[in-house]
Amino acid sequence: MNATAKYAKNVWDGLKSSLVGMQITGKYLLQKPITVQYPLERLPIPNRYRGIHYLEQEKCINCLACARACPIDCIEMDAVRHGKELEWVSFTLDYQKCMFCELCVYPCPKDCIHMGTEFAFVSYDRSEFKHDLLSFKGMAREAKIRMLEAEEKKKRKEAAKAAGQEVADEPESDADAEAES
Amino acid sequence: MLAVTETPLAAPAPVGDGNLVLDLLTGLRPESVPLWAVMATSALIAVGLAVALISLIAMFSTWMERKVAGHIQCRYGPMHVGWHGWLQPIADGVKLLLKEDIIPKGADKVLFVLSPAIVLASLLGAMAALALSPNFFFADIDLGVFFILAMTSTTTIGVVMAGWASNSKWSLYGSMREAAQVIAYEVPLGISLMVPLIVAGTFNLREASAAQGGWYGMHWFVFQNPFMLPAFLLFFTAVLAETKRAPFDLPESESELVSGFLTEYSGIRWSFFFMEEYAAMFLYSAVGAFFFFGGFESPFTWAVAQMAPHTIDLGETIGTLKLLGEGSLLHNLVAVATIVVKAFAGVFLMMWVRWSLPRIRIDQVMTLGYKYLTPLSMVCVLGAALFELAWIRFFGGAS
Repeated sequence: MNATAKYAKNVWDGLKSSLVGMQITGKYLLQKPITVQYPLERLPIPNRYRGIHYLEQEKCINCLACARACPIDCIEMDAVRHGKELEWVSFTLDYQKCMFCELCVYPCPKDCIHMGTEFAFVSYDRSEFKHDLLSFKGMAREAKIRMLEAEEKKKRKEAAKAAGQEVADEPESDADAEAES
Repeated sequence: MLAVTETPLAAPAPVGDGNLVLDLLTGLRPESVPLWAVMATSALIAVGLAVALISLIAMFSTWMERKVAGHIQCRYGPMHVGWHGWLQPIADGVKLLLKEDIIPKGADKVLFVLSPAIVLASLLGAMAALALSPNFFFADIDLGVFFILAMTSTTTIGVVMAGWASNSKWSLYGSMREAAQVIAYEVPLGISLMVPLIVAGTFNLREASAAQGGWYGMHWFVFQNPFMLPAFLLFFTAVLAETKRAPFDLPESESELVSGFLTEYSGIRWSFFFMEEYAAMFLYSAVGAFFFFGGFESPFTWAVAQMAPHTIDLGETIGTLKLLGEGSLLHNLVAVATIVVKAFAGVFLMMWVRWSLPRIRIDQVMTLGYKYLTPLSMVCVLGAALFELAWIRFFGGAS
């Protein structure tokens, strides 16, 4: 190739490659952006994503299986037992320690602790990373009613027992019927 | 400066005659105020308008740059400050004003402070020659393009001074590269602009624009000579280098030289350099529009110029004001809109190039400038001149 042809080829190549490059970026310019406006809209997160935990508190029986399963002991829970019902004091998870391994989820007998899809968890203070998973403290309304009913039943039973001891000849059909109901 | 003249375009208006601001001030002036004070005030108003124009252009261009960059990379760009982030430049401006103004310890204080002023002032000077419409302009200079080229070349002195005064190796490398490449691109820039000048036969922006009238745009210089399109490509490439835009942004190559000659600058001084860059982009795009793509002339401008003239009387101090027809208020407004749209189309093209092509090496800039742009632009000038001569010889009259 002689010098003139090479020169012309260089000019042509430079022009052509510039135009090809601009054609590609021009195509992208007309495309819809693939990013999303994050705080306003979010990309869908897979169901099996391991984010911040959530607890189905009504199901939980305070068995400590999750706390024992935790390899770094970041789960702490405390509840007072009233017969079959629980009065919740605390159920905390320390996200300074938690490594989102999901080992706490599998041993749960009631299947009540889950890993959620929420991942944005920031704070200005370290203490705020100790996260309370309880949706309410104390006892649930239904649990309280159930407890009161159980106590009443117990009292009635005891009263019936006492009456039965006093009136020995009366059959225990009354108490049986009540126990069934 | 905002002169609404009734004189024909060929003859420049005498000082004060037909100058709207000056006439208004002269009419309102009490006997005790001397004429030179009125003229100085009118000049100050013109300078204020020019500064406001540069700031507005820089504001809109920064927003546009970020949006174009974002969309080329499939992002949105700024979205939160105002509708689609259109108030972002104001937020940025407030931030830049409030930033600490740092002058490095070993810097040459005088030169360090002076260089952004030189850069911006030379561009302001160049802006003075820019006509915004047939009757709205700051200064009607017969050698308009020549003046613009001369004034914008002066910014190089500011850049070299900034690099030297910063007392930083990165800054000095940046200004050395600027000094090296300025010779490579200034020559083809001037020579490639000779081609439309041969066709136009004038250096004056308004006259060049007036020569391209007509409703269909075929009178634009770019269609009048086969050497016009290559000349425009050469001009555009040289302008990219002149305005320090990618792929020729070697003075400020942020991936190698931190920020080149801008490394040590912060706050408002830094923003002066950027205002200069964006205003220079606008200015050169406008020059390109004037000498290749019809200037003020578009089908809309032509249509307004064809309307029947209509004037209203505004009292003795101002005189009559033309509303419709050629040289009227509406004609001027449409002309301003046309030139601004054309100039921003050029600015958009520069942004597109910037976000498409990689920065080239300094030796490649030299090769491009000396071995390709300069000889090719000379060939274009020769070809255009011969074509014009041949046209006159065989068909009579200019093409």
